[in-house]
Amino acid sequence: MKKLAYFDTSHEMPLEIIMSAGFIPYKIMGDVHKSNDPADKYLSNFFCPAAKSWLTEALAESKEWAGIIFAQGCNNTNRHYDIWKLHVETPFLHWFGCPLLDSATAKKYYRVELQRLITSLENKFDIKITSEKIREAIGKSNAIKKKLQYLSALRSQKDIPNRDYLAAIIKCLTSPADEVSVWLDSEIAAGTSKPAFPTGKKRFLLTGSDVTYVEWMDTLDECGIRVVRDDLSIGERFFATLIPNGSDPMESLIEYYMGIPKPATRPTIQKRLDYLYKALHETTVDGVLSQNLKFCEPYAYDSVPVNNALKSKGYKVIHLERDFSPAADQQLATRLTAFVEMMDGGNNG
Amino acid sequence: MDKVNKSGENTGKVVLKTLPHSKDLKWPMLWWIAKEKIYRTLPWKKTAWTCAAFPIEVMWAYDIFPDHPENMATVAAARKQSQRLIEHAEGMGFSRDLCSYCKTNIGAYDTKIKKTLGGISKPDIVVCTNAICDTHWKWFQIMADKMNVPFFMFDIPKWVSGTDEKTLEGNIDYVVDQFHDLMAFIEKHTGKKMNEKRMNKVLDRSMELTNLWREIFEHRKAVPSPYSGAETSASFFPLVVLPGVKIGINFFKKILSDIKSITAKGEGTMPKGTETYRVMWEGIPFWYRMKFMYDLAQQGAVIVFEPYTYSFAPPKKKCLTMEETLRDVAKLMMGTPYAFNLERRIENFEKWIDEYKIDGVILHENMSCRPSSAGMIDLAEAIMRDKGIPVLILQCDMNDPRAYSEGQIKTRIEGFVELMEANKK
Repeated sequence: MKKLAYFDTSHEMPLEIIMSAGFIPYKIMGDVHKSNDPADKYLSNFFCPAAKSWLTEALAESKEWAGIIFAQGCNNTNRHYDIWKLHVETPFLHWFGCPLLDSATAKKYYRVELQRLITSLENKFDIKITSEKIREAIGKSNAIKKKLQYLSALRSQKDIPNRDYLAAIIKCLTSPADEVSVWLDSEIAAGTSKPAFPTGKKRFLLTGSDVTYVEWMDTLDECGIRVVRDDLSIGERFFATLIPNGSDPMESLIEYYMGIPKPATRPTIQKRLDYLYKALHETTVDGVLSQNLKFCEPYAYDSVPVNNALKSKGYKVIHLERDFSPAADQQLATRLTAFVEMMDGGNNG
Repeated sequence: MDKVNKSGENTGKVVLKTLPHSKDLKWPMLWWIAKEKIYRTLPWKKTAWTCAAFPIEVMWAYDIFPDHPENMATVAAARKQSQRLIEHAEGMGFSRDLCSYCKTNIGAYDTKIKKTLGGISKPDIVVCTNAICDTHWKWFQIMADKMNVPFFMFDIPKWVSGTDEKTLEGNIDYVVDQFHDLMAFIEKHTGKKMNEKRMNKVLDRSMELTNLWREIFEHRKAVPSPYSGAETSASFFPLVVLPGVKIGINFFKKILSDIKSITAKGEGTMPKGTETYRVMWEGIPFWYRMKFMYDLAQQGAVIVFEPYTYSFAPPKKKCLTMEETLRDVAKLMMGTPYAFNLERRIENFEKWIDEYKIDGVILHENMSCRPSSAGMIDLAEAIMRDKGIPVLILQCDMNDPRAYSEGQIKTRIEGFVELMEANKK
């Protein structure tokens, strides 16, 4: 089975359509270890380094993929579609214009775009995407989401390193569903048998820009931060809710994708906060880490009102900006360590 | 052509001529300021914050005063206030990487700076669109929340390269549906009702205003150019907030009359015989340093066309039915030249280069406007390849003077002029 890659700054791409078309949905996430030189030819120095890494990956790997679908997401990368159209060799490039709103009007438009995506895939690959196939894909997706929910809940009880959790999500977004489902069973078994949550670590909720490489998660662990909740797209947003099991699978997808917790690329900030409050109500944490990837505008805008709102409720929040690099940033590590140490001293603002 | 003295300062030998009626811009501006005061004073009148590419005509049709944070941000920059306001916003936690218009506005509102310096008052509603960028809705939502004011966002689908007609029709349907949502929002939060007759009248005036601007642009094709970017960057003001009212029309008529008179005499904005290079400027100007345009004149270069001000003149025509009108406006909102996709951008730039007899293009790679800056490298390469003229990509910022490096920009402009000179030989 071939991979069909997708460009998605959050969790907007209806993976079940790709699965129903007979492909493995593959989320393009780049490789932080490789130089972005190829993408630098087309994008200047003040563009999102993660998106540049995705372009670098596509320039090198696109021939291995059946095609690429761009899901409308971050405003700053939406226009990258045109650049990809010009430079990335692929037999299939589709723009999926999922709306920003979640009103009745937007739902109507979402159906139009979903149908356009299906027709486009059917015509290109001479296939038929039936309701039955979509329903089957929804079943597989939900099975994975349920397992991730279980694995995620273990984070606050067991000694599960930050990197293991992120690696699991990344695997789910890049590998065949059947393979992932079996693998998750073994991960859950391994996670359940892990020692209890380590005493030397603090429980944190992680929010802000997506994290696409495990080294950043290692840095957090080294600073005494254990991420037990998050609202990331490569994180809880992917499995926070299940796809409804309605009679019309298209309607189920619309309801699901328009109803999942909001990223910063979608209105409203209050809806983002609602999920954060819910997570913080469900799980006791010591602090909130708000991190922003350099040049990531949507989260940079949100960080001010979101962090202020959390602080006003008494949560201990630290905000920092990080580069797109696997190398540990000692300055950031020092800040984080000091924040954690101040928690122990009770002097955390 | 050396018009620069040893200290690097302009000698001022070349002075751009301004049109006789340029100074009349003060009337629409004063009218707008006075209107704002009236609408804020009278309890039954309503005001709104709006943004670029939002159909301002709808506001005038509802008799709602359209205030404009971007416009006020440019005022702050021109009055040398933007840096302190931006730094104030950064002090509140907003990143240096964010839009300088947004931060100017946040700083202006938070510090309660005077209107004449770029200040802005709390509106009754906040309405915006992402037709140009998502920054608009992020920014407006943050401010609506802060001011506790109802917020409406118009979600405009992206017209990406290769979009076919069928997809476009689906996108238009979505925008038209949102027009009805917008009307319901306005009526709910202001108590005002849509008056179709008034809407048609507003559209007629809007059409007249934009037609005049487009006619002015037709005359800018003349050699020498009668009207430079140095002037249009200020005089396009009526298109920003006054499409649908009379005052801007009268001003544009006078400007057009001046231009016709100048071109009839074979004169231009540059002194006779000094227009050497005709330049296209892409992007938002450096509002805090409009002198840049006059510096260009010292090198014999005049900005004869800029898609930015042209973008503000979509011909919104009144159709047979309201539904048809809305479909027409919806398509225009999606296809604003400032937000053209790369394919349309290249196609139109190359057309404009021919029409306006352009010798070189300056692309402002604006650190405050990543959507507009995306694709600029490809755009530059296409122009140089297809049209054989030099293209200069200038990385800077529209409202944040900290991004403007005097020496670097001067050197790059000199190099660009040399390229244009070599290209002419």
